[in-house]
Amino acid sequence: MQIEFKVNGEEYQMDICPTMRLVDLLRGKLGLTGTKEGCGEGECGSCTVIMNGKAVNSCLVLAPQIHGQEILTIEALEKNGQMDRLQESFINNGAIQCGYCTPGMLMSAKALLMANSNPSEEEIKIAISGNLCRCTGYNKIVHAIKEAAEE
Amino acid sequence: MLTKDFKYVGQTYPIHDAPQKVRGELVYVSDLNLPKMVYAKLLLSPIAHGIIKNIDTSKAETLPGVIRVFTHLNTPNKTYSRYRIIPDQDFCLEDERLFTEKVRFVGDRVAAVVATSLETAKDAISLIQVDYEVLPVLSTPEAALLDEKTKIHPDGNLIYQYDYQLGEQVLVSNDSVEVETTTRTQKVHHATIETHVCVADYNSAGKLTIWAGCQGAFGVRTIVADLLELSYNKVRVIKMPMGGSFGGKQEAIIEPITAFLAKEVRRPVKLIFDRKECIMATMTRPATSTTIKTSVTKDGILEDCIVDTVLDAGAYATSSVDNAYAMSKKICRLYRIPYYQHQGKIVYTNTPVAGGARGWGAPEIMTALEIHMNAVAKRLVMDLVEFRRKNLVHPYDRDKASSFSLGNARVIECLEKGAARFGWNERYYRMPDKGRYRRGVGLACAAHKNGMYGGFPEHSTMTLKMNEDGSFILNTGLHDLGCGTITSIKLITAEVLDIDPSNITVLEADTENGPYDFGSYGSRVTYICGACAYEVAKRVKEKILECASLIFRKPKQYLEVANGTVGISGHQQQTISYREIATTAKTKDNTDIVITHTYHGTSNPGVYAVHFAEVEVDTLTGRVRVSDYLAVHDIGKAINPGMVEGQIQGGVQMGIGYALYEEIKIGNDGRILNSSLANYHVINAPDMPTVKTLLIEQGGDEGPYGAKSVGEIAFVPVAAAVINAVNNALGTSLSDMPLTPEKILAAL
Ligand code: FES
Ligand code: FES
Repeated sequence: MQIEFKVNGEEYQMDICPTMRLVDLLRGKLGLTGTKEGCGEGECGSCTVIMNGKAVNSCLVLAPQIHGQEILTIEALEKNGQMDRLQESFINNGAIQCGYCTPGMLMSAKALLMANSNPSEEEIKIAISGNLCRCTGYNKIVHAIKEAAEE
Repeated sequence: MLTKDFKYVGQTYPIHDAPQKVRGELVYVSDLNLPKMVYAKLLLSPIAHGIIKNIDTSKAETLPGVIRVFTHLNTPNKTYSRYRIIPDQDFCLEDERLFTEKVRFVGDRVAAVVATSLETAKDAISLIQVDYEVLPVLSTPEAALLDEKTKIHPDGNLIYQYDYQLGEQVLVSNDSVEVETTTRTQKVHHATIETHVCVADYNSAGKLTIWAGCQGAFGVRTIVADLLELSYNKVRVIKMPMGGSFGGKQEAIIEPITAFLAKEVRRPVKLIFDRKECIMATMTRPATSTTIKTSVTKDGILEDCIVDTVLDAGAYATSSVDNAYAMSKKICRLYRIPYYQHQGKIVYTNTPVAGGARGWGAPEIMTALEIHMNAVAKRLVMDLVEFRRKNLVHPYDRDKASSFSLGNARVIECLEKGAARFGWNERYYRMPDKGRYRRGVGLACAAHKNGMYGGFPEHSTMTLKMNEDGSFILNTGLHDLGCGTITSIKLITAEVLDIDPSNITVLEADTENGPYDFGSYGSRVTYICGACAYEVAKRVKEKILECASLIFRKPKQYLEVANGTVGISGHQQQTISYREIATTAKTKDNTDIVITHTYHGTSNPGVYAVHFAEVEVDTLTGRVRVSDYLAVHDIGKAINPGMVEGQIQGGVQMGIGYALYEEIKIGNDGRILNSSLANYHVINAPDMPTVKTLLIEQGGDEGPYGAKSVGEIAFVPVAAAVINAVNNALGTSLSDMPLTPEKILAAL
């Protein structure tokens, strides 16, 4: 079927199989491999992207659902060669180890800050509660998001 | 005491590839796409024990897009050990083959389809029909030891047993107290967020290339090359960025099969495990049952310690014998014990395969030990800190097992400083809570090691070359698992050469282009490989000084390096840059500044941690919240303190899960009851307390700048600290892990 959508500001028209998942469309068709897959069942959050301002698990979204919608992926976080302050804060606060959860974590954090520029620590933890990280113990991630929000 | 300040060592730096990671630019194995690449999917056994009577692949083979289908009928029946690190290694039981005729657990490999798309491969898998003759399922070690008729492998279900004794049996005093406890630890999933993935290619030159997210590229080469009967120079294993390992990717689980398929179909093959396959069919932490019996004088001095461990290896032996044996070497690294005895049995069962997991035996045995130590102190009505202080090892004690020095073992200092910082006395001796929510505190000590010296060969090789512009490339056989290895090694090298770390590139393992290293395990990387980087950098520095001495026309003992330059000591104005030295060496002196060095480990000191946990138990729901946490580590010297803290916090997170939630549940029929992250609970951000850390940095051992290991030891004491806290809160003596709400409610 034919769908139209926007990814990272660019418009696409595509003929897709209606059962295709958004994560496969992004990674396979558009080559945006920054979005990761860790479980394929909405449990790990490593495939998180922003759809119309909300964080979603792209492994649970089917391609037809993005018709007419706007998607942001990790590749769009940096603008005009300038990193998002979340990205800088993750680097500066040691919030990254293996980095496999990082893109999803950043997109959940971005969606949070888009809706709430001054979240509490509790709100941060809830916003990333669907993003599993096995390496860091979350302390530094929560701190990084808080610091980015405070700037 | 380390007093010298360093320029780079001891400062916090982000992991080396953080800028790529925050941009989603780093290419992990999962992201790798090669021209003409095809996809493999495996058919895994749905039953836990049986013999394949008939297997029909005809429908799968005719599906458009399918390239080939493989089963035990058309593949080599050669067996191998996925654990092997080096050829001729002991205790590498060769009990598995690429595709089995006899399935031994739910998840055993029955067949593979290679197809032009993953979808097609999956569809084809569902078209394969298998008839099994079902055999009795032995889902626990007890059942496997009891049933002598049902043999999981031809030689029976007991893989190995040992009886190990240290010291002289002494007559225990008649007023001694004898205490016995039993602790059960469960199988857990490593839960790396990137699942197991491999890409392999076999080209017309007869060269096999494997892109692996692994912990030991040379071990992978040994296993694959010997299995496929290829010469080692024809097998190239490239270590790729990986989304976590924790021991789960230490052994060659999917590399042999991917390599085999690529060689057969002569196209690049990608094999991706989904989460379910990853939980069922890769590796688990071994389940253990440990009984500890000690005799203690009424003054609280340990007289003997008798340990009995049964380890559930699952369906294949892999590293389980070494793993169990490692357990027997741990306790005497922590406590002074006149007589120690450890019996162990390693048993096959029809359950997922156990293997290497962060801490390698130490978490299992230390959890049992520290639950036991609380029971003893309680029996003696002795303070928990005081009882431990009387028995813990002292700096430069000898390790009873190896008779080597334990080095500057500062565990008593960890305990004392930690107890003061945590406010142990105030919290432990306060009035118990009476209401619905009960608070409790727990502590646990732990010991681990630094490398494999004493039980295994231990060396590392690196090549450091100076570029013409005075920058450096350090070629290594390292594997960064996401723990910051590359950054640490860079900081050590930068410190020696006195140059900003951004001028140094550190390469990871590539069996074709890099030097040999055993891999990232055994808590050896900072201690052994870090020392190798230190030594090779020192030698290059000497060479730089020699070259500079030709330019200055001064003997090199009058010269010193500073900030990427060489100057004459005491004359700060006269300096020449590394660039000038490197270029002059090449052009005028016909010299290349490059050194390859092999460092040999000659020590294996203990590394120690003491953790303190406060929990709050909801007696209505049985749920436990860890409300406060302090981790104290005897680390010698923290090379990159921010990353050290991150390692500890990650270890605590994993340990809380181990204590309270995580378990691969297996039914009596061998079926896995929770093969999804929806019902296998990994701790998320709201569950996680703030973890405070206290580092004891007293150096005194042979690691670079005095550094000792951290990644594994960070996990070792956690479960015991949390369990002891729960038992303190409730007045219980729970020791059957994990302490789920059901078990807690049942104990109230
Ligand atoms: S891959 Fe989508 S939530 Fe895990
Ligand atoms: S950094 Fe490894 S999973 Fe988060």
